[in-house]
Amino acid sequence: MKALPTIRSRLTGLLVAVALAWGLGVSAAVWLAVTSEVDELLDETLQAAAPVLGRLLSLADGADLTEAAAAIGEGAGQHEHFAWQLVGPGGLLLRSARAPAQPWLPLPVTGFADAAAGWRVYALPLANGTRTLYVAQTRDERREAAAEIAWAAVWSALAIALLSAWWLQRRVRRELQPLDDLALALARYEPLPPATALAAPTRRELQPVHDAIEALGERLARRVANERAFSAHSAHALRTPLAGIDLQLAVAEREAPPALQPRLARAREAVTRLTRVVAALLALFRSGAELQRRPIHLASLLARLPHEPLQLQVGADDVVDADEDLLSAALINLLDNAVRHGAGTLQVTWQARDGLQRLRLHDDGRGAPPERRAELARALADQAYEGRMGLGLMLADLVARAHGGELTLPEVAQGFAAELSLAPDPSAANPAVPT
Amino acid sequence: MRLLLLEDDAILGEGLRDYLRGEGHVVDWFGSLRALQAVAGEPYDAWLVDWQLPDGSGLDWLSRQRQRGDGTPAFMLTARDRLEERVRGLDGGADDYLVKPFDPAELAARLRVLQRRGAAGGAGSCRVGDADIDLAAHSVQVAGQRVALTAREWALLEALLRRAGRVVAKADLERLLLGADAEVQSNALEVHVSSLRRKLGRDLIETVRGLGYRITLSDR
Repeated sequence: MKALPTIRSRLTGLLVAVALAWGLGVSAAVWLAVTSEVDELLDETLQAAAPVLGRLLSLADGADLTEAAAAIGEGAGQHEHFAWQLVGPGGLLLRSARAPAQPWLPLPVTGFADAAAGWRVYALPLANGTRTLYVAQTRDERREAAAEIAWAAVWSALAIALLSAWWLQRRVRRELQPLDDLALALARYEPLPPATALAAPTRRELQPVHDAIEALGERLARRVANERAFSAHSAHALRTPLAGIDLQLAVAEREAPPALQPRLARAREAVTRLTRVVAALLALFRSGAELQRRPIHLASLLARLPHEPLQLQVGADDVVDADEDLLSAALINLLDNAVRHGAGTLQVTWQARDGLQRLRLHDDGRGAPPERRAELARALADQAYEGRMGLGLMLADLVARAHGGELTLPEVAQGFAAELSLAPDPSAANPAVPT
Repeated sequence: MRLLLLEDDAILGEGLRDYLRGEGHVVDWFGSLRALQAVAGEPYDAWLVDWQLPDGSGLDWLSRQRQRGDGTPAFMLTARDRLEERVRGLDGGADDYLVKPFDPAELAARLRVLQRRGAAGGAGSCRVGDADIDLAAHSVQVAGQRVALTAREWALLEALLRRAGRVVAKADLERLLLGADAEVQSNALEVHVSSLRRKLGRDLIETVRGLGYRITLSDR
């Protein structure tokens, strides 16, 4: 059977996904914000650096401007990040530092502009507009700076997300623990006498579940109590008159003239058969309750059941794990069937196969034609008993199904065979039947 | 044996009474616990008790008798067939448990077992004076010769053997032989005692003056 998804895994998966998505979303937002802010900040830096550099160039006019500008750049610690050009009239490049040999931009230009080869340039007119100072920075440097900041933000967000996911998983487990507690309490809950109470829930959300289960248990206990009472009354109401009829017939048989005695004996046989049916019905009626399984010595059980004139052949040591009352009811009816179909010998074999106890009854009676046997087998498989078979086979099948098995009718060359399969006790720690 | 039958179903009670009488037992049949008061304290060889009675539980009545120290063998005859009910019945004081409908022949056989076990220390046969008594075969021999006994003589002999070594009051013996309903002639018991003495030997039954009769088993 396919394993069902767990609330824990679904909830944990969802929360982890949300945490990671949140982390990624925050990272993306940080990335965009940082990129934009870094651009703006560096533009402001270019804009602030340009007047200072221009003034220095004016003061040092005639001196080594390159050296002066370089000294300014080093002083600011920006020598690897900034370049500049001083362009004279006609686009003549007068001075430059860490810049290409051609002016970045054609004149006249003021303010910010994007030049070829990925330069971000700020142009500042000097000397009444006769000269122009370009201060520039490459886009790569900007991206590198932005990336450093963004990656730091992303890693921080992811770390927080993973930490959150781990914490959420633990939290989910802890919050779902009351469900496990409720399952444990349910496993120990027994609504039928001697009853054990259902442990109180530890979360308000579970209170309705708890109350519903308790109400269900109470309904079940009432119903079982009523059914048991009904069963006891039915047993008394059916068995006592049967016993009375049989005893009256027994006395009459003893006192009657010889000519009447065979007739009375047949009447007693009919009472005996009726008794078996009543016993089976009562046992089956109770089968809604829990089975009273125990190891049953098969030969001893069969010896106690009425089976004359059948000769029984049964393994001396065979032991079946079953409800004795129910198994008796099934066997009584199968034995009765064998007698009524002219069997003289009934062979009973037991074996464990495919995880089931298999009890086969094979008689040497008249049997059934193949088409009739096939019809019976189909009816048993479909549990469509009505009008298609007698009470005996139906009862035996119901008994087998109450034990988690079924009744089948194997093909045999002679006589008739019926096989009861009974599942081992599922609650037993070590099921008696090997697989 | 004198049997107390407590069964409220008229058809079953009457049938059982007649069947067991046919087996040679003395049967007092009552349909309710209240009716039992008429025979309170009387001696019985066995009780046959139905669990469910119109005015109470036969098992509860049996348990009360056990609490009072009455160890009369008891058979529970009931429609209750569940394992826990059988266990409860036996734990409640029943010595045997038969689920209705039962074959009366089986009950009769179990009563014969009780008879054999109760009499002569359970040996099934015994010797009293010159008489060799086989309880299972219902036969008595004196000096190797078989002696025929009437049903009443057998019942008297058996009642005394079941209580061998003890004095049995005359009134109790009359009850054991004839049941609660029988009209007892004043000298009926003496007639049967005298008859048994004549057939089996004068020393067979000892008269304990003012108390009753006693039978003592001989060493074999």
